[in-house]
This record gives sequence, structure tokens and C-alpha cells, in this order.
Amino acid sequence: MAATVSSALAARVRAGSGENACKCYQCKKCSVGCPVAGFADLHPAQIMRCVQIGDLDAALQSKFIWLCTGCETCTTRCPQGIDIAAVMDELRMIAREDGRVRAEAPFAAILELNYRSFRRWGRLYEVELLALDKLKRPKTFMDDVPMGLKMFMKGKINPLPTIGDRGQMKRMAAAADRIVAEKRAQAKADAATPAGGAGGAP
Amino acid sequence: MSRTLAYYPGCSLHGTAKELDSSFVGTAAKLGLTLAEIPGWECCGNTAAHATNRLLATALPANELVKVKTDMQLDAVAVPCAACFSRFMATIHEMDEPQTRADVEQVVGRPYEAGVAVRNLVDVYYDEVGLDALKAKVVRPFNGLKVAAYYGCLLTRPPKVTLAEDPEYPTHMDAVLKAIGCEPVAWSSKTDCCGASLALCEQAVVVKLVRSILQNARDCGAEAIACACPLCQVNLDSRQADIRKTDPAWRDVPIVYLSQFVGRAIGVADSELGLKKHMVPVEAVLA
Repeated sequence: MAATVSSALAARVRAGSGENACKCYQCKKCSVGCPVAGFADLHPAQIMRCVQIGDLDAALQSKFIWLCTGCETCTTRCPQGIDIAAVMDELRMIAREDGRVRAEAPFAAILELNYRSFRRWGRLYEVELLALDKLKRPKTFMDDVPMGLKMFMKGKINPLPTIGDRGQMKRMAAAADRIVAEKRAQAKADAATPAGGAGGAP
Repeated sequence: MSRTLAYYPGCSLHGTAKELDSSFVGTAAKLGLTLAEIPGWECCGNTAAHATNRLLATALPANELVKVKTDMQLDAVAVPCAACFSRFMATIHEMDEPQTRADVEQVVGRPYEAGVAVRNLVDVYYDEVGLDALKAKVVRPFNGLKVAAYYGCLLTRPPKVTLAEDPEYPTHMDAVLKAIGCEPVAWSSKTDCCGASLALCEQAVVVKLVRSILQNARDCGAEAIACACPLCQVNLDSRQADIRKTDPAWRDVPIVYLSQFVGRAIGVADSELGLKKHMVPVEAVLA
């Protein structure tokens, strides 16, 4: 395949994750070991190829990046030592940053609720997370709520949040947001210039 | 002599995995370990943080490690949740990179000093207590109960982070089970992913992954599965109701925390073991 194996996308992924997708030689060990590849449209090696050739559309539209469970099997087995799961994380961040999270991506919504929940309370508040998700996706009510009630009856679910050091959480979250926003803006600017390619030494 | 470990329960152990908390605390007390809970501990950030903001994902466990080292003056922290353990180990790994370290220290607001050992549930029994000391405490050994030791993803993967000796086929949990009289079975799905992170959004996928793991345990002769992750336990335990809906002949597999097995063997009270909190009853295998 006559693809250009160097792209602004690879540079952007590398700037955010530290991982160089250009090292991938398509052995597909990642795809063979992936527990969810069989449920998605693309498999991990194909996503790596998308990053190499700069096909951002295919990567962001794929079901796969929102099905990856983060099990790290791909990362463990990659003969090139690429942290493939971190590349999937980076594509999720790029999707959010560019406002291009695919329409059918319930995991994206769950991750966002989860992220807001621990930042707000210092710890995860499971009941609030579940309630907000069901308000957004009422059709899935029967998937989780009956089991949730059974678990509640067994005393496994706290109706009220348990709270961490909220002050410190607030300070840390604000500082992390500021530093990351600065770095991402810089990386995006670098990737947009021709000199910012990912073809440099690993 | 009693050894003191800092204790980071994590969100699940105060919610859906209360029986992991109580059984772990119960076993630690009987095994001569003193647990000191980290004051004002916060969420480790879980999957949501590392898929959203890497710096915060690294800083949250770093903040806890700073508390353990600087405020509590301890050299080890017990983190029984496999997912939290994985985030703590990832932080230790990532702090080797000077720029990350500088950014994280800015976020935490205090300097980070390496040197706190992070112990998962298996490590506490295998490394902190040791198999011989554990065997010496057994008062009610299991009589050859066949158990599949399930490690899932994050206790061992990726090995550059977890430092696991044998990430594809780990054996430390098997050794702990053997020490208390169980017979660990050889099986294929030891480190397969159960899909717990998708539990609230991709039910069809999750049920298939869960079923495949449970079926393999049965096919290899296991009467129960031992696990060391609160997300795996809830997922493997609760999704069997969904399997039964399409397969009335399904034989339930009890999903027991390693700390419950150990606690039963060393005489921790039933009330602390939390045996009534399971969806699939576990009393029969813990009798």
C-alpha cells in the first residue's frame, strides 16, 4: 500500500502520549489479543495504520476507540514496545478536543460523567453517575437499574457520596487543566507546521 | 512484630465492594498487619482520568504517595483494588520522566519522593505476609476446593508498569490459594479482560466476555473463581443473571474475593467476610 508513513496526526498523538505510532509494522499481535476487536469495525492494528497515514476521520469515526476497555493486552504484547492503549486514550482526547466524538459512543458519555463525579466529590459517586446516565439514555434503564436496586438492597451502594479532600482535588484539577491546555495548544500548533512531523528519531 | 502499611481503599471498597474492604481489613488484623488509612484519600482517577487528562491521572496517585511518604512516614501502601493499584504503579513509572515529575509536583503542590512500595491484594499475602507465615495461621483449611485464580487485566498488565514477573500467566494468587488448602486449577482465562469498564454502556459485549471467562473456569474443573479486583468481581458476579436469561441450564459460578478465601481459612468472622453481599451465593463453597 502506497501510504505516506509520517503524518501530522502521528506527531499530534506522539506529542500527547509520547508514543510513536510510526514504529508499528502491522504484525497484528494487538488485534489478535484484543478482547473487543470482534465487536468493532476496525481493530487496533488498523487504528495504528490510520494514525500512521494521517486518516483522522477513519480513526475518530471508528467504534473501536470507544470500545477499548484499556485491558493493556496490546501494550503488553507489542514487539515494538508501543503503548497502544495510550494511543487509543490519545485519540479519545483528540476527539473531544476537536469536538468530534462520534454520535454513537455511550462509553464517551460514561467517562465524562465519571470524570466530573470524582472531580466534584473527590471520590466517585456511583448513584449520581448512574442517575445522570439514565436521564441521558433512558432506553438503557432496564440494563442496569434492576441490578443496581438489588445491589442497593444488599448494602453495596451508598445513597450519599463519600467525600475525599475536596479542596485539594479542586486545586489539583485546576492546575492540571491549565498545564494540559497550554501543552495541547502548543502541540497542535507544532503539528500544523510542516517541520512538526513525527519522522524524527524515536 | 507488627508491620504498619498505609491503606488506600479506593472508591469501590467504600461502595460496591464493601466486603472486599471488610474481609481485607479482617485478614490483615489476624496476620499481624496494622493498616493506617490515608487521611482524606481521593479517587485515583480511574480510566476516566487517563482517557481525559494524563497529568491529573498521574498526579492523583502521586498526591496519595506523597502523603504516605511525607505525612505518614511509611514505606508501603496496600491498594487492594486492582484498578487503583494499576494507577498507582503507572504514576511511579511515569515519575521517572523529569518533565512529568515537574508538572506533577506543580499540580500536587509538594515535592514527590520515590520509595513507597505499592501492594495489591495478592502482594499483601504473598510478599508482605509470606506463604509460610500464612500457612501457620490457617485454622480451617479448604479441603482441596478447586478454584480458578482470576487476575484480570490490571494486576499484571502492562508489566513495565506493574513489574509482574509473568504477566500472561501469573501464579502468585494460585500459590496463596494453595497455602490455604485450595487446589488452584490450570485454565486459559486467567488474565482475560472481563469488560468491566464497559459495564454501564455495552452490556451485550460485557455478557459475552464474562460468559467466556466463567465457562473456561468450569471447563477446567473450577468450583469457584477467586478474584482480586472489585470491578471484576461485581461484573463476573452480577452478569450471570443476564446469562441465565438466555441459557436456563447455566450453572452459576461463585465469585469470591481472595481476601474472603484467606479470611475463611484463618478464622475471620463471617460478619467481616461479607458473605451475604454476593449475587451468586458463595456460602456453599465457603462452608
